[in-house]
Order: sequence, then structure tokens, then C-alpha cells
Amino acid sequence: MKQGSHTNAHFSFPRFRHLVALHWSGNKRLYLLALPAIGGLLAAWDTFLLVMDRYSPLDDGIQAFTYYWGMALIGCLYSSTIFAAFGSKAQGIAWLGLPASALEKLLCGILFSAILCFAGYTLVFYVVDIPMVKIGNELIAAQHRVWSNGYPIGPNPIWDLRKGLPGDNPDHSFHLFLIFYFMVQAVFALGSVYFNRYAFVKTVIAVLLFLLVFLVFEKQVVEWMVPRGWHRYNLANDWIADGDTLHARSVRLPPWITAPWAILLLLGIPTVFWVATYLRIKEKQV
Amino acid sequence: MVSIENLHFAYRRRKPVFSGLNLALRPGHIYGLLGRNGMGKSTLLRSIGGFLFPHRGRIDVMGFTPGQRLPAFLQRVFLLPEDFYLPPMDLERWVGLYSAFYPAFDRELFRRAAAGFELPTDGRLDQLSYGQQKKTLICFALATKANVLLLDEPTNGLDIVSKGQFRKVMAGAVDEDRCIVISTHQIKDLENLIDRVTIIDEGKILFDQTIDAISERLLFRLSYDAEETAGALYSEDSFRGSALILPNITGEDSRPDLEMLYKAVMLRGERVNQLFSQKSHR
Repeated sequence: MKQGSHTNAHFSFPRFRHLVALHWSGNKRLYLLALPAIGGLLAAWDTFLLVMDRYSPLDDGIQAFTYYWGMALIGCLYSSTIFAAFGSKAQGIAWLGLPASALEKLLCGILFSAILCFAGYTLVFYVVDIPMVKIGNELIAAQHRVWSNGYPIGPNPIWDLRKGLPGDNPDHSFHLFLIFYFMVQAVFALGSVYFNRYAFVKTVIAVLLFLLVFLVFEKQVVEWMVPRGWHRYNLANDWIADGDTLHARSVRLPPWITAPWAILLLLGIPTVFWVATYLRIKEKQV
Repeated sequence: MVSIENLHFAYRRRKPVFSGLNLALRPGHIYGLLGRNGMGKSTLLRSIGGFLFPHRGRIDVMGFTPGQRLPAFLQRVFLLPEDFYLPPMDLERWVGLYSAFYPAFDRELFRRAAAGFELPTDGRLDQLSYGQQKKTLICFALATKANVLLLDEPTNGLDIVSKGQFRKVMAGAVDEDRCIVISTHQIKDLENLIDRVTIIDEGKILFDQTIDAISERLLFRLSYDAEETAGALYSEDSFRGSALILPNITGEDSRPDLEMLYKAVMLRGERVNQLFSQKSHR
């Protein structure tokens, strides 16, 4: 029998379904315990804020902060374990020998570490956030809290993740954050395939080293290429000339260039890392 | 069924495991893969199974390149490693989930094999003893109906009764579409099972013959005759005289002692192989 004659060599939905069922069955105990544990940690953090903040605890800014940082931390930690089977020869053989394609195995990892992790965390966040904000608002009302300038403090709204960061800043809209999350997740998923042990720590170090090289490149190489006296103003797209004088001039690329570029970059990076993870799974030896 | 040509492989650049290994495995046989520790038996099985990639050379398994690990290939080739993993779930659930990946999986065969090994049906798999876990995987491997079964030290950890049961189920499992390769140090456990002996050393095949050919060319017997002992290919003392391996000039029938054969090949491989390259005496 020749391999060229096989259909569904790379993706078959029934096989993918079996793979998802297998992953869920092997890990459901962990996941079902992790969700209330995360909820407990979020509740503890919110309680801490309720106790410590004498003005307006759990405003939408701190809710967004809690959501984003919790999400990033849990997403990175979980993603760095999604292909942990490679850490042991026995588990690696069992996993690689399972009759499913590398693509199906990657997609199963992405489904759990990127999509279901995001959905599960978001659900737990709101299950905790909504009652805690309500308690915070009751405290504000019951204690007739006022700002230091004497103005009464109003109730806090539930932060709406679809609006991104508070303040309607279009640069931080939700979809970009979601893609950013995928980007980080993809990096840590690759780390979990690349590093057999201590994948999380090693990936963090690799990311920090990359950022260091990137910043040095920005500072030393890119600035060397622009006219004398011009500097990078931020890491986005602003350049400034004579920044120390009153005659400063700021230059920014037009949005029709920067907006597609940002989307392309944010979409491209997770794709590149997922492709790299796929290739790494294919070439993995145990 | 399995064709290996000019296989080169090394874990470390300066210490090759294989440098030009050639081997052909045919269906309908149970191969006993023998060799010293660290000589590449497990590496060979993992290379055939697609878990290690050749640095040079070619491995072909039923038209597949193992390293591609296509699902259709993985459904047909099953490796039972010496160190294996079973997830924390009960037997029924595990069989239900994993058998879904093997279209030819035979649940009835699994049930019969499991009953033969007296596998416990309750409790989590990861909490079973090593031997019970191994028996579970042996039953599963058989039930997948994989064409190539690669078993690395399958009798390690099995009790005496289970070793007998293992021989029984394996002997019944081989057919004209299937090839079973058993890597082992426990030659005595499998003496009556394997029908082809392949001895591997320093990354080369030192010896590769069927049991029939061994019986035809070599004579295994006990002797008190000092002259005969001196002329033997291999001899070792025993309570009942000297156990000898002699060239089978007379065409006499004897039961091959694979442990002795292995030692003879390791000590006088060239001389032993010479006997097999000569024309048949019968």
C-alpha cells in the first residue's frame, strides 16, 4: 500500500474529534479543578482590593487590569504545558504514536490552550467579577464614600471586555488584545514543544532575550539609519526630531499603512509560531 | 514488509549507533532481536516505528516512510516500548478512547486476550502494577490488528504464567499479513516463540537466520567427549557434561538453544555465519 493513496492524511474531523475527546478525558479532572482554583484566586484578589481601596474598589480600570494580567499569566502557564508529553520518552512515544496527524495534534493543542482556556478563564472571571463589583458598589453606597475633593463616589460598572481597555482608546480594542493573546499563547505553545523540561521558565527567558535584542536593534541600528537628531518616540510608529527643543517635530506613518501593518503583524506572529510548532511536532524524535 | 537500507543513525555525532545497517523483515515471522545493552535494539524499533529519523539511508514500512508518521502508517505499526505510559483512567474508558484511532480494532480479541491475562477490569490504569500495565498494552497492541508489532522487552515484568500466556497469544497472532519483532534479553522466555533470530551488535546485523536454518546448520547437544568439545563452535560446562554447538554435518535434528547461539555469534560470529553461507548438507 502506497502512502500517496491515503486520503485524510493531514486532517480528518472524526480523528480530530477523537483526539479532543481523548485530551478532555485525560485532563478533565485537572481542568475542572483549575477553574474553581482560578476563581478562588480572582476572588481573593478582589477581596484584597475591597479591603485596601477606601475609595472606589474594583473600578473598570482594575477589572481590566485583573482580566488581562490573569489571562496572560494563565494562558502562558497553560500553553507551556500543552505539549508537555515530550518531556518524557514514554509519554512522547504514546502521543506521537497515536494515529492522528501532526496538524490534528496541533489544532487540538490550540483548541484547548488558546480557545477553551480563553473561554474558561473569561467565564470564571465574570462569575467572580460580577458579584464582587456588586459588593464593592454596595460598600460605596452604604458607607457614603466620597473622593478626596468631596465628590460622592458613584457605582462602578461591570467592565465589558468587548470594549477593550477603559477610555474607548481605539488602539486597544478588544480584537487586537485577543490576537495579542493568541500571539503570546503561540510563543509559549512552541516553547512547550521546543523545551523538554522547564518549558515555561525557558520560554520566558527566550522571550526576554528576544526583547532585549529587539530593543538594542531599535536603539542602535534603526536610529543609526534615520537622520541625525531624530529619535524613536515610542515603540509604535512615532518619530520625533529635536525632541529636546521647542521646535520638536513628530512624524507618524498614515493610518492606512500602520493599521493593516498592525493587524498583519498581530495575525502573522501567532501564525508563524503555530506553523513553527507544527513543524517542530513533525520533526520531534523520542 | 520492512526494508532498511544503509541506515545511519547517531545520538551523538562521534558515536554512531548504526552505520550502514541493512535489514529486511518479512510478514509471517516473529523476529527475535537480540543484542547487548546499548547496541541499538530499541533504537532500531523506534526507527521502524517513526520515532527516530535516519541520518542517512532509507526505511520503508509497507510503502510508508516511518518518519512522516502519517495516521495510516501509525494505524498499521504499533510500538510497545520498554518504558510506556498509560493515562489515569479506567480500562473500559481507555480502550474506548484509544481504539477509536484504529479502524481495524477488534474489541472481542482484546476482551479475550485480557481475559487470558486475567487483567483487572476495575481501577485506574496508572495504578496497576508494571506487569499488569504491560499486559494491558500487549492486549491492546494485538487488538489493533497492526501489521507490524514492535515489542521492546515485552516479557520484562511479567510473571511466569503471564510469560506463557504471552507466548501463546503471540504465536496465535502472527499471520501472513503481520510481522512481529521482539527485542529481548530474556531469550529463554521466547525460545519457542520466535522463528527468526536477528543479532545486532555495534550497529550491524551480526546474524540473521530462521530457526529452521539454525536447526539445519547447527547441532546443539551435550557431550562428555573432550575431542568433540575442543572442536565445537561454542561450548559451556553444565551438570550434564558440556553443552556444545557443532556444525550439523550429519543433518541431525536438535533444539536450538538461543542463549548459547547468541554467545557463539558474539564470540565466533564469522565462523558461525560461514556455516550458513555454505550449501545445505541435506
